[in-house]
Amino acid sequence: MARAVALPQTRWAAQPAVAAWAAATVLAAAALPWGRAGRDLGSWLWDSTGVVLASGSLLAAGVLLASFAVLLAGLWPAPERTRGVALAAFGACGMALSGLLLGVRGTPTGPAGVLAPLGFLTLTGFGLSSSGRWFVDPFLSAAVLWAAAFVALFILLPLASVVVASVWVDGRFTLEVVHRTLTSPAFLALDHPGTPHNELAVAAAVGLAVAVGTLVLGWYLRWSRRSLPAGGAAGLAAAALASLYLGFGAFRNSLLLAVVVGAVSTALGFAFALLSERSQLPTRRLLGTLSALPIITPPFVLGIAMLYLFGRRGFVTYRLLGVSTDVFFGPLGVAVAQVLAYTPIAYLVLVGVVRALDASLEEAAQTLGASPWHLVRTVIWPLARPGLANAFLLVAIESLADFANPIVVGGGKPFLATEVFFAIVGRYNPHEAATYGAVLLALTLTVFVFQQRWLGGAFYVTVTGRPTGARPQPLPLWLDWALSAVFVVWMVVVVLLYGSVFVGAVTRLWGFDYTFTLRHLQDLHPQGWQVLRTTVQLSAYAAVPSVVVGFLIGYLVNRVDFPGRRALEFSSMLSFATPGTVMGIGYVLAFNQGPLLLTGTELVIVLAFVFRNMPVAIRAAVAALEQIDRSLEEASTMLRAGASTTLRRVVAPLARSALLSGLVFAFVRAMTAVSQVIFLITPQHNLATTQILSYLEYGSQGRGAALASVLTLLLVTVVASLQALSRRLDPRTAQLGAG
Amino acid sequence: MNAVAEGVPVRLEGVTKRFGAVLAVDSVDLHVPPGKLVTLLGPSGCGKTTTLRLVAGLERPTAGRVWIADEDVTDLPAARRGVTMVFQSYALFPHLTVFENVAYGLRVQRLPAAEVRRRVMEALELVGLPETAERYPAQLSGGQQQRVALARALVMQPRVLLFDEPLSNLDAKLRRRVRAEIRMLQQRLGITSLYVTHDQAEALALSDVVVVMNQGRVEQVGIPEEVYRRPRTRFVADFIGEANLLPATFWEGAVEVASYRFPVEQEEVRDGPVTVMVRPEAVVVSQDASGLPGVVRTVFFMGMTTELLVDTPAGEVLATQPYRADRRIVPGEQVRLRFEPAGVYLLPAEDGRG
Ligand SMILES: Nc1ncnc2c1ncn2[C@@H]1O[C@H](COP(=O)(O)OP(=O)(O)OP(=O)(O)O)[C@@H](O)[C@H]1O
Ligand SMILES: [Mg+2]
Repeated sequence: MARAVALPQTRWAAQPAVAAWAAATVLAAAALPWGRAGRDLGSWLWDSTGVVLASGSLLAAGVLLASFAVLLAGLWPAPERTRGVALAAFGACGMALSGLLLGVRGTPTGPAGVLAPLGFLTLTGFGLSSSGRWFVDPFLSAAVLWAAAFVALFILLPLASVVVASVWVDGRFTLEVVHRTLTSPAFLALDHPGTPHNELAVAAAVGLAVAVGTLVLGWYLRWSRRSLPAGGAAGLAAAALASLYLGFGAFRNSLLLAVVVGAVSTALGFAFALLSERSQLPTRRLLGTLSALPIITPPFVLGIAMLYLFGRRGFVTYRLLGVSTDVFFGPLGVAVAQVLAYTPIAYLVLVGVVRALDASLEEAAQTLGASPWHLVRTVIWPLARPGLANAFLLVAIESLADFANPIVVGGGKPFLATEVFFAIVGRYNPHEAATYGAVLLALTLTVFVFQQRWLGGAFYVTVTGRPTGARPQPLPLWLDWALSAVFVVWMVVVVLLYGSVFVGAVTRLWGFDYTFTLRHLQDLHPQGWQVLRTTVQLSAYAAVPSVVVGFLIGYLVNRVDFPGRRALEFSSMLSFATPGTVMGIGYVLAFNQGPLLLTGTELVIVLAFVFRNMPVAIRAAVAALEQIDRSLEEASTMLRAGASTTLRRVVAPLARSALLSGLVFAFVRAMTAVSQVIFLITPQHNLATTQILSYLEYGSQGRGAALASVLTLLLVTVVASLQALSRRLDPRTAQLGAG
Repeated sequence: MNAVAEGVPVRLEGVTKRFGAVLAVDSVDLHVPPGKLVTLLGPSGCGKTTTLRLVAGLERPTAGRVWIADEDVTDLPAARRGVTMVFQSYALFPHLTVFENVAYGLRVQRLPAAEVRRRVMEALELVGLPETAERYPAQLSGGQQQRVALARALVMQPRVLLFDEPLSNLDAKLRRRVRAEIRMLQQRLGITSLYVTHDQAEALALSDVVVVMNQGRVEQVGIPEEVYRRPRTRFVADFIGEANLLPATFWEGAVEVASYRFPVEQEEVRDGPVTVMVRPEAVVVSQDASGLPGVVRTVFFMGMTTELLVDTPAGEVLATQPYRADRRIVPGEQVRLRFEPAGVYLLPAEDGRG
């Protein structure tokens, strides 16, 4: 039997993918409409097909020509490199011409306007791959271009629109809105004109006092060289904090809140991490539940609960203590709600830190009889500092971005995230909203860049099973008891809060009439159920693309070498660090007119979800890929599989557990999203979270509580079944082991 | 699959590969004749794997061209070169059975199920593992896994077969056996093969041609006997087998090591200082009057042989002697060393590298 020798194809004999894409591109460009009549995605204008347009428009004719050129290049029997160059060139031309055509027409885009550019882009990728310029699989080179296009269109463009909208008013550049907004007392007032004293002067005095105090202390402790800079830094920090504390306005409120909540949550998170690693008391077992809380808590749940317990007719304040108070309306209430919501995040970050501490402490204890102070200074502090800073910054970002708590319990005080909303919804001023958005964006980006650069830390915390290893040294008993007591108090508050929402769902009128009723649940019919169904539907639609796109980007960034790789990674993570309200207003500004008109459709909500939650999948992908030996992929390549086959048949099955949890978290995050979609919803497709908000706005707290309870239960079920499922999946993968 | 076909040649022309500042492969020229097995031999980090991956198409050369069957494949992606590879880590897909692992490449080509089944079973029989078809890789021993990896590569009927240290995860005995099997199969199927190893014994035993690499460059190319007997550089002499490298002077057809002068028949040696390479097994230890004088420093008993470390005026000399019960050499003994011509080769003096 003679061996059938598979000859390589330097002549491009069979490239069915290229031919198919080229044919589809021609078809789309020629026979499908380029325009829509209005917002409705189905309102295709059949008199705007390429064939029709070509007679009147040079651009349309150019696009058609480019599509035919691409098809010819795909079928032309020339050497591979030549064809590759031709394909890439014609594809790029086609892209540019299609873009121009859409821009010049300026009307909403029809199917051809989506499919033709996508086809050109893909063929450009195929062309680049075979031109020999770029040694990468055709599928991957197309995927890089897709990823870049998606990220540019759905992350960078909305963010850029926010910045532009703040300085581009009525068709010209002006700093007037920015200036007016930033100097308004609603934004920031360090010295309130209504008070008799000068707050700035007070802050300066505080700073001076602290600086002098530090200098004296330094002199007393003989710090010599370091006392002057230390005094200066302490004084400045104290002055800044004091003026923050004494000041007014949205900027001050948000920043102060972020600092305080960051510090408190980090401290609590550290205490709980210590407990979970080193406590001997039974309360330790409850800590696992703690870590899942922020994921499954829909927004407004804590806010409603705060009203129920500590509001003017709150159960604790009014019923038990007999006071009718507003103290929990405003920054204090928001702070409490945020601390409850974000402490688990800090806890998850710090568990790892405490674990690392344990190992090195044991070593240190074994090697030298160091004094405790020396140990703290040389081992504990350097090790714990990055983790603590990381936890603080993560919580600070969350706090800055938070929209739900300030709007419910903020007591009407301005915060950056809510001002974006009110500027649009209340004052109808998108430029002012954009200014607030840009400030908020700048603030979170600074924190994000700082966190990525200096701490290189994961921006995410994922729920992981705790490995059962040797138990490190237990805590001293008094500390164990003290921390456990704090934890128990925390737990009681959390249970009370969550419980009050569930009870509130079946209580006639909280604060006045505590009799049992099912009326609120019945009242969810039909509107509430309808909204819940839409929410589940849209979240489910969004979950799969989030994971596919996220996984692809994760793969590209982790495994493929291409120019702009870091930029792609950073931009795709950006959508996670950006506060939802900013992303939301970005979508409104970017997709509200012209060829990109999408607002008012379900698609824009789904897209917002997809690109908002994609980073979750990126992280999951990267973590999974780190476990997969590259030689498996190379083996697949050597067996003549293309990259898409390798991804489908080798990588995806090996990463299925990560893919699954990515899928579930993308779904859950979409279900609980509020700030980024609040501007995008319409009466026809309202979402559960925004529906809760409107129930609250119209005073139907009972109905809000009912919907929030149902949503919470739904999410608990989803997450619990994920955990059961991944337990079923995991032993198998473990048993099969690595190749 | 079992007919001997005419293989295809592989050629590298001035191939260079840089990873940032690291020069992993430095203008390598290489020719693998059709149907032959060529090994790339060299110390860790000398660029063997990188060279192999350049042939595979998993890396793209910074400069130079790669030819397979007289066709420039430099720009051709790995999947279209008609080349398969056996990896050091086996790289079996852990989530697929042995059968599916071997069938993978055939399924990618969308061959009919019956043909896939036939060819997979044929390949598994070739490596002697037909009964493991339904098991998962994790349920096989290391040697079995390696043979499955081989079957998976062979079933593709590749034009060129690449091996990256395929035996390094096996124990010494098994290595010898699988090595023999690989050689037998390769010769029977007549597949052009490039084989990477850092084990010189493996290279000598397996190859038609050995390519010795060092720091990204080719030091010497030759049949195993030639690189062993006539190393061109100190590095090759030292890396392949044991070698004593002694400073000496050559004139009038004879070489002088310290006071010991003996004739050497070697072409193209100029009079003057040289380095003498002497294989330990070519050193004869005696109490004769002639030879290089020395004092035995240590004696290692190795079973059938004895290794002696002898201090001489020319430096330390390692000698391997057949074991003799009647004649024990002890440390401190004064001896004379003579070198047998078959194990002696002259190198240029003070060869820079190596
Ligand atoms: N992907 C890469 N990126 C950067 N440097 C690399 C990469 N691959 C190899 N190198 C470097 O190139 C040099 C040659 O590596 P190579 O893997 O070819 O060595 P080798 O001869 O196979 O060694 P070993 O016997 O240890 O496998 C080494 O210095 C290595 O660090
Ligand atoms: Mg190697």
